[in-house]
Amino acid sequence: MRKRFAFLYDQKVAPYVFVLPFILTFLIFFLYPVLSTIQMSFQEILPGMISNVGFKNYQRLLGDRIFRTAITNSVLYTFWTLALLIPFPLVLACMLNSRSMMGRGFFKASLFLPVVTSVVVAGTIFRLMFGEVEGSLMNSLRALLGLSPIKWLKVRQTGFAAMVLMACWRWTGVNMLYYLSGLKGIPPEMYESADIDGANVWQKFWLISVPLVKPTIIYVLTISIYGGLAMFTESYMLWAGNSSPKNIGLTIVGYLYRQGWEQNRMGYASAVGLVLLAVAMLINLGQLRLTGVLGKELD
Amino acid sequence: MKRTGILVLVFTVVFVLAAGGLVSANSTKLTLWTFVHQHARFYQVMTEKWNALNPDRQIELEASVLPYEDMHNKLQIALQSGVGAPDIVDIEISKYPNFMKGVPQFVVLNDVFAPYVDDIVPSRLEIYARNGNMYGAPTHVGATVAYYYVEILEEAGVDYREIKTWDDFVEAGRKLKAVYPDKFMGIVETSAAWTVTAMLAQQGSDLVSDDDQPLIDTPEMLRAVTTLQEMVKEGLLTTCPDGQPDREGGKGLIDQGVVACVIMPQWFMSRYLDEIPNMNGKVAIAPVPVFEEGMPRSLGLGGTGTAITLTAADPDLASEWLAFAKLSEEGNRMIWEDLGFDPCNTALWTNTEMTHNPDNAYNQYFINNVFDVLNEIKDEIVMVRSSSISPAINDYVTTVMLNELFEDILDPAEVLEDAQYNIESQIF
Amino acid sequence: MERTRNKDHSLLARVVLVAFFSILSLIVFVPFYAILLASFKPGEELVRYGLNLRLDWELMSFANYRYLFTGITRAGAYIAHDYLLWFKNSVVLTVVQTILTLLVSAWVGYGFAMYRFRGKNFLFTCVLLILMIPFEILMLPMYAQASSMGLLDSIWGIMLPYLAHATTIFFFRQYLTSIPRDIVDAGRVDGASEYGIFFRLVVPLMKPAMSAMAILVGMNSWNNFLWPMLVLRSGQKYTLAIGLNTLLTPYGNNYDILIAGACFSIIPVLILFLSAQKYFIEGMTMGSVKG
Repeated sequence: MRKRFAFLYDQKVAPYVFVLPFILTFLIFFLYPVLSTIQMSFQEILPGMISNVGFKNYQRLLGDRIFRTAITNSVLYTFWTLALLIPFPLVLACMLNSRSMMGRGFFKASLFLPVVTSVVVAGTIFRLMFGEVEGSLMNSLRALLGLSPIKWLKVRQTGFAAMVLMACWRWTGVNMLYYLSGLKGIPPEMYESADIDGANVWQKFWLISVPLVKPTIIYVLTISIYGGLAMFTESYMLWAGNSSPKNIGLTIVGYLYRQGWEQNRMGYASAVGLVLLAVAMLINLGQLRLTGVLGKELD
Repeated sequence: MKRTGILVLVFTVVFVLAAGGLVSANSTKLTLWTFVHQHARFYQVMTEKWNALNPDRQIELEASVLPYEDMHNKLQIALQSGVGAPDIVDIEISKYPNFMKGVPQFVVLNDVFAPYVDDIVPSRLEIYARNGNMYGAPTHVGATVAYYYVEILEEAGVDYREIKTWDDFVEAGRKLKAVYPDKFMGIVETSAAWTVTAMLAQQGSDLVSDDDQPLIDTPEMLRAVTTLQEMVKEGLLTTCPDGQPDREGGKGLIDQGVVACVIMPQWFMSRYLDEIPNMNGKVAIAPVPVFEEGMPRSLGLGGTGTAITLTAADPDLASEWLAFAKLSEEGNRMIWEDLGFDPCNTALWTNTEMTHNPDNAYNQYFINNVFDVLNEIKDEIVMVRSSSISPAINDYVTTVMLNELFEDILDPAEVLEDAQYNIESQIF
Repeated sequence: MERTRNKDHSLLARVVLVAFFSILSLIVFVPFYAILLASFKPGEELVRYGLNLRLDWELMSFANYRYLFTGITRAGAYIAHDYLLWFKNSVVLTVVQTILTLLVSAWVGYGFAMYRFRGKNFLFTCVLLILMIPFEILMLPMYAQASSMGLLDSIWGIMLPYLAHATTIFFFRQYLTSIPRDIVDAGRVDGASEYGIFFRLVVPLMKPAMSAMAILVGMNSWNNFLWPMLVLRSGQKYTLAIGLNTLLTPYGNNYDILIAGACFSIIPVLILFLSAQKYFIEGMTMGSVKG
C-alpha cells in the first residue's frame, strides 16, 4: 500500500497534494459555475425548454430601470459602509490602545458583541425597532423630542439609514479588533520617541498609527467592499422579504435572487450576476492597485 | 376558536399517527407542500375521509408547511431540475403563472376533474388551466366583500347598508371623521392590490389585458387610484404597517378598532376569527361600493391552486385524491366549515343547512350571514385575469407604484406613466 | 511641574475615554436590551404596538420560553415546533464545518506557504480571485452543481463548497510564512514525511491562528443564511437562521417563538467568542496584517 503511493511522499509531489483540495473546490464550485453562468446569461431557461437568445438578456439589462435602482443601492450602501466602517473603528481602536485606557477587555468585548447575533436576528430586532407604529423604539425616541412618528422603513432616506446603521452596529467591533491587532504590532518605543519629540495625539495618529496599520486597513477595505456589494440578507431581514417599498432595500444580489428564484428567469439573472462580478472585480482591482498591493511579488 | 383549532390539530395529529400505525401495511405515501398550516390540517382531514371510503387504496399523506416565498422558490427549482419536488403542491395564485411558463411540469387533471366540473365556478378552474388543460384545483371563489365595523358607523350616523357607491363611502367617511377624528373609514393597501383590482373590475378593466399587456396607464386605473388618493389626502383612508390588511400590522390596526371598513375577499373572515379577537360580534358584511350603481360589485381574489407534479410517485392516486379533497361536495363543505372559505361549488351556497348553521364559528363571529351577501352578488362576481406577466406586474405595483401613490402622494398620472414604462421594461 | 501636568492630563484622558466608551457600549447594548425585554412579551404585542424599552410587568412572562422549551403555548395547548432541533442542527453544522474548514484550509495554506512549485503563483492568484467574488453571483449554477452531485438537503451540501475557504487559506498562508522554514527542514532531517511534518510539527504551531479563524469561520457558519436556505429542503434539517426565518411567514403568527428563539440563539456564539477572544486578537496580530 505504502509503496504504491510512495510517489505521494515525494517532495516534488507533496505541494500538489497539499493544494489539491483547493484545486478541486476551484474547479467544481468556482470555475464550472462561472462558465455556466456565462453560458446561461445567453439563454432563456424555462422548464422543458432552453433556447439561445444571444445578447438579448444584456440588452434588456440596459433598459431595466429597476436593475439600475439595485446597482445604485448596492454602490451607495458600499460607499456608506466604507465611509463609516473604515475610519471610525480605527479611531476607536487607537483610543482603546492608548495607555490611559481602562477596562480594555470589557469594552472590546462589548463592542464586538453585536456581530455574534445572526443577520436574521439583528434584522428582526431592527425591523421592530424601526417600526412605523407609535410605540416602536425609534418613534418613542422621536416622541421624547416632541416629534410625530414616522414610517422609517417606507421612506428612502430613513430606510437606507436603518440599513447602514445595522451594518455599523454589527461590524464596528469586528473592524476595531482587526485594527487593534494591527496596532499591537507597533512597538511602543515609536510612540515614546514621538512623545519626546513633542508630537500631539493627532500627529501620532496620522504619522505612526495610520501608516503602520495600512496593511490592516487594506484588508478591512477589501472585505468591506466585498461585503457591501454582496449585501442581501440584511435587506431581506429588515423588510421581512425581498420586496421593500419602492425598492429602497433592493440590492444587486436581491435583484438576482428576484429574477432567478422568484421570477424564474435564470438566464436574465445570470446576466445580472455577471454585471455584479464585473463591478466587484473592477472596484477591488482598482482599490488594490491604488493601495499598491497589486504588483507586489507573491514570494 | 384559536384554542379549539389547536385542539383539532392535536387530535388530528394523534389520530393520523394512530391511523397510520394501523393501516400503513398497504397505504401509499404521498408528499404535499403547502404554505398555510390550516391547509395542511384540511388535507389531513380529507385524507381520513378518503381512507374511510377507499379501504383498498389507502393514503398516507405527509404534508409539510413551508414558508410562503421559500416554498414557491424551492418548487420552481425542483421542477426545473427534475428532482426534489413533492407529489402534491399548493401554489398561490400570484405565483402560479411562473409555473405555467415553458412546459408545465404538472399532471393534466381534465379526466379526474370531469365528474365535478359542472358544479364548480368555471372561471376558477380556468385560472389554473392553460390551453384547455387543467393543472390545478381551486380552493375558493374569494369573492371580495366589505367588512364594516357597525358600532362606530352607527355612532357617526351611518347605516352601512346605505353605502352603495364610492361617493356614499366618502360621505360616510366624512361623518365618521366628524365624530372620531382619529379613526379611519378604511385601509388603503400599499403592499397588495385588493381594492385597486376591485375598482378596476367594476369598470371592466384589469391589471393585464387579454393579449398579455400590462394595463397600468389606463383611464380606469387613473380613476381608481385618484379616488383612493383623494380619500387618503382627506384622511379618510390610512396606510397600514406591513402595507395591507392580511399582514400582522394590518390585522393589528383592525383589532384596535380604528378602521370602519375593510375591503377584502371573503376568506378574510377566517383572519377575523383567528387573529382579530376584539372585533368579535361587531362586524357586518356587505357588497363593495362601486363607482356607479349597476357595476359588478365583486371579484374573486387570492387563492391557491393545488397541482400534482409530473414526478409524483403515483400520479393517478394523487389526482383522484385531489379531485375528491377539493372538488367533491364533501370537500367543498369542509372548505367552508373548516377553512371558512367560500367554496367553488356555488350550489352549496344555497344549502341553508350548511350556510346558516348556528353552530358555525364564522357565523357566530359576524353580525349577518356571509352567504346572504354572496348570493346577492353571485352573478356579479368578476374574475381576475392571470397571465405570464402577472407576477412582474404585481411585483412593481405592490412594491413601488402603490407606495408612490399613497405614501408619497405623488401625482397619479405621472406615477402611472412611470409604472407602465417600468413594468414594460421588465416584461419579455 | 512638567510631570504633574502630564499626570493630570492622563487622568483627564482616562476619565474621558472611559466615559466615552461606556456611553458607546450602552448604545450598542440597546438592541440587546430591547430583544431581551421583548422575549418576555407576547409576540403579537410587539408587532402591533412596537418594540420598545418599556417594562410592562403585566405583559411580561416566561410564556415564550416555556413554549420554546416545552412546546406548551400561551393558551396552554401543546404544539410541536422544531426550534430545539434547529438549534442542534446549527451546533452540529457549526462545529463540524469549523473543524473541517480549519484543517482543510490549513492543509492548503501550508502547501502555499512552505513549497515552491510550478503553477503556484497562478493558483494563489485564483485564491485571491475567489476572495474578491461574492458567492451570491454563482448561486444558480452552484445550486445546479450541488443538485447534480446529490448534495441537496444535506449538511455536506452546505459545507463542501467552503472547506477550502479562500479567506482562511489566505490567512493561514500569511501566518505560516512567518514561521521559520528551519522547522520543516529539521523535521525532514529527522526522517518525518512531508505530511508528518505538517501534522506533528506545524499544526501545533498554528494554534493562535486557528483560534482566530475558528471564531470567524464558526461565526459565519452559525449565521450563514442564503446558501443553507437554498440547499436545505426539509424542516427537520433547517439550521437556526433559516428556521427562525420560516417563522416570519405572512400566514400564521409565530412571533412568540421567533423573538424568544432569536434571543436564546445569541448565547452559544457569545460563549464561543468570550472563551476565545484572547486568541482571536493574538492570532490576528500574527496573520494577515503582515500582508
